[in-house]
Amino acid sequence: MRRILIAIALCCGSAFSGHAQELQQILQVHADEVAKPSRRSVSVVLEDLVASGLPQVPVFLEKWSAKNVWQREDGVFFIATADGDDLKLQDIDTGGETSAPKSTFKQLKPNGGVRRVIGTALVQFQLSDPDLTRREAAVISIARRPDAAQLAPLVASIEDEPDPALKARKTQLANFLTARFGETPQDRIAAIESLSTDTSVEARSVLNQILTVKSGVSASEPEGNLARILDPSQAPDAFYPQLVEAGLAPAETTPAMIRAVLEANIDGGTVGGVPLAQLNSETARYRAYAALAREGLAPPLVTEDTREYTVGAYVFYELYDEEDPAITDAAATALASVEQRVAIAQTADLALDGLSLASIYFLAAIGLAITFGVMGVINMAHGEFIMMGAYTGYVVQLFVPDYTISILIALPLAFAVTFGAGVTMERLVIRHLYHRPLETLLATFGISIALQQLAKNIFGTQARPLTSPDWLDGAWVMSDVIQISYIRIAIFVLALIFLALILFVLKRTRLGLEVRAVTQNPGMAASMGINPDRINMLTFGLGSGIAGIAGVAIGLYAKVTSEMGSEYIVQSFMTVVVGGVGNVWGTLAGASMIGFLQKGIEWLNPSNTLAAQTYMILFIILFIQFRPKGIVAPKGRAAAD
Amino acid sequence: MNKSFIAQNPSVLWFLAALGLFTLAVTLLSEATGVGLISTSFVKTLGKTLCLCLIAIAMDVVWGYCGILSLGHFAFFGIGGYAVGMWLMYARTEGIVLESLSGQVIPPTPQEISDAIGNQIFGVVGSSDFPLIWAFADNLFLQLAMVVLIPGLLALVFGWLAFRSRVTGVYLSILTQAMTLALSLYLFQNDSGLRGNNGLSGLQNIPGFEATPQATISIVFFLVSALALGLGYVFFAWVISGKMGSVVKGIRDNEARVRFLGYHVESYKLFIFTITAIISGIAGALYYPQAGIINPGEIAPITSIYLAVWVAIGGRGRLYGAVIGAAFVSLLSSWFTGGGAPDINLGFYTIQWTDWWLVLLGLSFVAVTLFFPKGIGGLFDYLVRKPS
Repeated sequence: MRRILIAIALCCGSAFSGHAQELQQILQVHADEVAKPSRRSVSVVLEDLVASGLPQVPVFLEKWSAKNVWQREDGVFFIATADGDDLKLQDIDTGGETSAPKSTFKQLKPNGGVRRVIGTALVQFQLSDPDLTRREAAVISIARRPDAAQLAPLVASIEDEPDPALKARKTQLANFLTARFGETPQDRIAAIESLSTDTSVEARSVLNQILTVKSGVSASEPEGNLARILDPSQAPDAFYPQLVEAGLAPAETTPAMIRAVLEANIDGGTVGGVPLAQLNSETARYRAYAALAREGLAPPLVTEDTREYTVGAYVFYELYDEEDPAITDAAATALASVEQRVAIAQTADLALDGLSLASIYFLAAIGLAITFGVMGVINMAHGEFIMMGAYTGYVVQLFVPDYTISILIALPLAFAVTFGAGVTMERLVIRHLYHRPLETLLATFGISIALQQLAKNIFGTQARPLTSPDWLDGAWVMSDVIQISYIRIAIFVLALIFLALILFVLKRTRLGLEVRAVTQNPGMAASMGINPDRINMLTFGLGSGIAGIAGVAIGLYAKVTSEMGSEYIVQSFMTVVVGGVGNVWGTLAGASMIGFLQKGIEWLNPSNTLAAQTYMILFIILFIQFRPKGIVAPKGRAAAD
Repeated sequence: MNKSFIAQNPSVLWFLAALGLFTLAVTLLSEATGVGLISTSFVKTLGKTLCLCLIAIAMDVVWGYCGILSLGHFAFFGIGGYAVGMWLMYARTEGIVLESLSGQVIPPTPQEISDAIGNQIFGVVGSSDFPLIWAFADNLFLQLAMVVLIPGLLALVFGWLAFRSRVTGVYLSILTQAMTLALSLYLFQNDSGLRGNNGLSGLQNIPGFEATPQATISIVFFLVSALALGLGYVFFAWVISGKMGSVVKGIRDNEARVRFLGYHVESYKLFIFTITAIISGIAGALYYPQAGIINPGEIAPITSIYLAVWVAIGGRGRLYGAVIGAAFVSLLSSWFTGGGAPDINLGFYTIQWTDWWLVLLGLSFVAVTLFFPKGIGGLFDYLVRKPS
């Protein structure tokens, strides 16, 4: 189709050769630049080619860029492909094909920089290309390297764009380009104002590019679109080098320079009249240097005082690159409004982060809330139950290659394994220590270090992978600012399920009733026919089993190592203590508080998560001073403690 | 009730006699006297063990006598070590820097010296400025005062806050654990001013004694540690005797009842907590010059739990029990993990003790808690009571 059009155009062209130009003619005018193009010279050629409006231009540009244009000895250009020793030639204007030996031709090889410039020029042709992927590529190329010349072709191509998504993208891009390169200030301001609701990174970078500044220094207030005048008195040391660079002041004299000058001018045991042995203080060195400077042996001394004084005599400013103050004002207003929106979005994102951290803490601590909170047993091996759950997941994945199925098997299996471990531990150890809570702490700590070392002996010290299924990869992107990974959503959902499940078990089942009865008064419960031994065993198993499931969830996004449990144990205890012992809601409150607080502190000081943890623990220590029994005060056996 | 505190605690004399004999024997057999039956590195191990025994009796007083299970006493131990380590590191680096600068034609200014020292010490954490906490690092006596003052003040403030709001039992344990965790996390930061996770190193080189062989230095530290342990033992025996001791033990057994008798329970607890923290700081200050290096990992929560383990294994509520527990477990631990114990070949599997020692320790600890709540010290009761 295009060939035919070109052919028709060519026929017409040759018929009225007096009026219409041929591409070959234009090329011949710039023959040298075409044959040996450089990044600078090629733009002239391209301007003429584009201005000619000839339909064969895009084809030529593509071939040129792809090194498929050859030049004959007499200077005529051909589109050609190598075919053995011969070349298959194609006339640039008529498209007529011939063949000739290679030896009389020279291939044009534009370098990378030139090809990029050609590519930019090609974009405007590709914008209306019938092939959707090429149009998309052109739009992406414009977005990557926006340029004033692309605005007009881009706007022109919008109306006939058949694909609605691409059309919207073109409109958006045209808006960005108008904001930066629009013809009239009114156009630009209108475009800038329309950006004030756009929180995307691209829109913000457009506004920031309009607002780029150059800093400078001069004796009086400068001409131009002034961004701001800086106050150098805050930090003269930072501003002085600018003066030196601008040639307005001599370089400052550093202690090292003084030292070098003094060493170079030692004269029989003295420097500038000061004996060497006395030069062990700053003042003596200044004295010697000043003496040398008077004799002209050293540049004048620039001390802190002179620096401060000199800096005060000049105006330090920032000038906008954009000259029109109306435009920079509009951009600044728009940017302020965008940044306000971004701040709101960031707060929302932070809240999501806090929520996901809170659900991780909740998962890690909820089992502890049952064993510690309801039964009053301090289980230092709780972290190791989390670890056992994670390793169960890892082992299952060794046998079941499908990640979705293996996770579905691992969750109940981890519960079963840690339930068993918990019941065993309760029967063998904890049962004997119910009246000695502090000793439970130490005994379970012994179990904890034994289990940890055992895991190290079995699985080695390096981290083991627990891979999440494909459908949990990636993140839910709501905007450039707000996004959250699917794993964290899954953990949140899991935490919710557990909250509901535990509340149901404790409040709505026979087991829960018996657990609460034993918690409140074991003696009375026993006389009502409840077997406290059995209930304690089951409760402990339940708490441990939940730790196992939490282990699978935590293992999905963190490393599975033998030490992973100990990373959570102190945090989990604090969650339970802060929330209030003996209450599931308390644990939820504690986990939420710690999670949000930690994210909040991290946000204040993003480079330093260690500091965030430190401050959070300090906060918790102080918090416990004011609410020693936690957010939700406990009832039951733990309250007597 | 007016018996002297030594008469109330007959173990004091026995202990001092045993410690004296032990010290004498080790000194005579060490390389410093030329006999060399005990290597310098083992003298250091023994000296460190004595320091651990000192913090163990402090732990025993606070836990075994006063009923406060503190899981944070190693924080005070570490602070003591850091305080002394700052002086050791500063003074030694100063010596090295002065020597390297002495060759220059123009004598260095104080600023240049301090910059060079700062560069040497803080180069590893990408800094060269001295943080504020190093203000007194050039003065041994002020740093030694800090060994006592900082743990004391920290314990005083922390204890005052905690006891005032009547945080007791398990809650207090977790709170103290949080304290030591916070401190170690803080020190792990590079900008904490104490070289982050590099910690302070080269502490075994004592400034001013570069020419003295390590054999002599190690025996001196060993003797000083033994002296500190002896004095600490006597001091704590005195603290826990008499009326004061009765009140403290009363608090352990029934805090509410002691309060209703009109005693100000919080003051007693605060006194015990603070005084044991100070002794822990002193123990740390003696320990780390022998260990040679201190880093934030040393005050991670787990070390304080181990401290409780030693005291429990040795036997709570008796000072010599704590000493026995700390010495027994820490020496056994270094024997097992250092490859001293022979591997056991089961035919199908070889038990290597470096891998299995912790498992054994953990399980034996469970066994002690379950079956011998009085610990190793309980054996003495058995021996003493048998003739009667």
